[in-house]
Amino acid sequence: MKLFEFSEVVRYLPELWVGLRFTLLLVFASLAIGTVIGLLVCFGRLLGRGLLVRLCAIYTTIFRGIPEAVLMFWLYYCGPLLGGVRPSSLMAALVAMSLYVGALLSEIFRGGILAVPRGQAEAARSLGVPEFWVWTSVILPQAFRIVIPALIGVAALTVKVSGIASTIGVTELVFQANVIGGQSYRYFELFTAVGVFYFLILFPMSMIAKGYERRLMTRRK
Amino acid sequence: METTPTIEDDDSSIVDVVPNTAPGVLRQVRQSLDPVSVIVLVAIAIGAYNFIDWSQIGTLDFGIIIKFWRPLATAAGMTIAITAAALACGLVIGIVLAILLELRIGFLRYVLNAYIEIWRNTPLIVQLFWVHFGLPMLTGISTTALQSGLLALTLQSSAYLADIARAGIQAVPRGQWDAAMALSLPARTKWLEIILPQALKVMIPPLGNLAVSFLNGSALLGVLSVGELMTISTRISDYTSKPIEIMTVVALIYLAINVATTYLTNRLERFAGAPR
Repeated sequence: MKLFEFSEVVRYLPELWVGLRFTLLLVFASLAIGTVIGLLVCFGRLLGRGLLVRLCAIYTTIFRGIPEAVLMFWLYYCGPLLGGVRPSSLMAALVAMSLYVGALLSEIFRGGILAVPRGQAEAARSLGVPEFWVWTSVILPQAFRIVIPALIGVAALTVKVSGIASTIGVTELVFQANVIGGQSYRYFELFTAVGVFYFLILFPMSMIAKGYERRLMTRRK
Repeated sequence: METTPTIEDDDSSIVDVVPNTAPGVLRQVRQSLDPVSVIVLVAIAIGAYNFIDWSQIGTLDFGIIIKFWRPLATAAGMTIAITAAALACGLVIGIVLAILLELRIGFLRYVLNAYIEIWRNTPLIVQLFWVHFGLPMLTGISTTALQSGLLALTLQSSAYLADIARAGIQAVPRGQWDAAMALSLPARTKWLEIILPQALKVMIPPLGNLAVSFLNGSALLGVLSVGELMTISTRISDYTSKPIEIMTVVALIYLAINVATTYLTNRLERFAGAPR
């Protein structure tokens, strides 16, 4: 048995492609839903008062503090409790990842908005700019620029987390590699290939984030 | 993970900026119960009432936890021990890597950077499988599940910590380096007594974040059945076929550990008087 049989990887490329498509589906869908949740929670925390603020803070703590693997298992098994239907593994993974991403993004959005110098909003208000425009053309554009590297970081983290969905049986990249590995005993080649796939997705993202961060730092100086 | 901005102050400045029109007693009432939060709470309550199957909840039996508390507690201890060990080893390796990077030895820098980027840019679960199935093929040494789990966690944490340590070392003011140079201190004293103590202080907050994310990551060791919380809990839930109760409690255990870690990090940060 040769140490590294590259032809094995090529032979199973169609199966891995199926896995990659599911991975991308999970990542994009959970990022989209997570953004909506993140925005709601962030504004609930910034603009709400009393109970609402506490509720949003509790949401963030809970979903950042529970491991994604446990959350997926929990949603998968608690289907009969919630709505009386057993969710498919894809559904459970999607909901779990969206909740997790939402919690991360809410913190990041909040950090970005708070990082905008207070004087900016005060100046706009004292000039008589309507509240709507204070937010949409003064605070949010600046906050967004500050937050971009962190957003790329969350997207990269989501790609990494999507691998966990294999534990409840979503047929994404890691799951496919496991199944094929079980048939052919080519675990080493397959997981190297899968690792390379992930690296090709994640490395450019982290490079872009780093470059942007450096540009932001030099501009601030 | 590492780019997540941490927010130190709990009260947000924007809330103060938003004009507050309600005065006096009215304001007090609004502060605890404003219309929006009441509407949201009512909506959540209605949703929960219609969505949750209450007859099912009645059949839950949390007594099972009391019966299995001993294995669960041991497993939780195991989770903490594994994470702590991986982070401790990773911290030592990471600091060594960061110092080597800072010495700027041409060729070595590319190798170390490649090492860091490879471990940072692949998911932990792939690394786990890769170490567990791949290393025996490469080296001929077969590892137990616990060894490969620990190894994978250590490798990844060393890469993250090298990055954090590098940032910490670079945050030490220029004057400190110049002073060490002016006093012509030997390299050992310079690093151990001037640069690293100050760098470690700066490293505390990102280290706390990393500890939480590695505690979450350690749940993945369940796929190799290492014998930590996730493994034991799936085993118990298979045995008793009561996954809901077990998983709920396990989630709460993880949550408690993570909240405690965050709290301890904050205390440590205040204790060390880290510059903000």
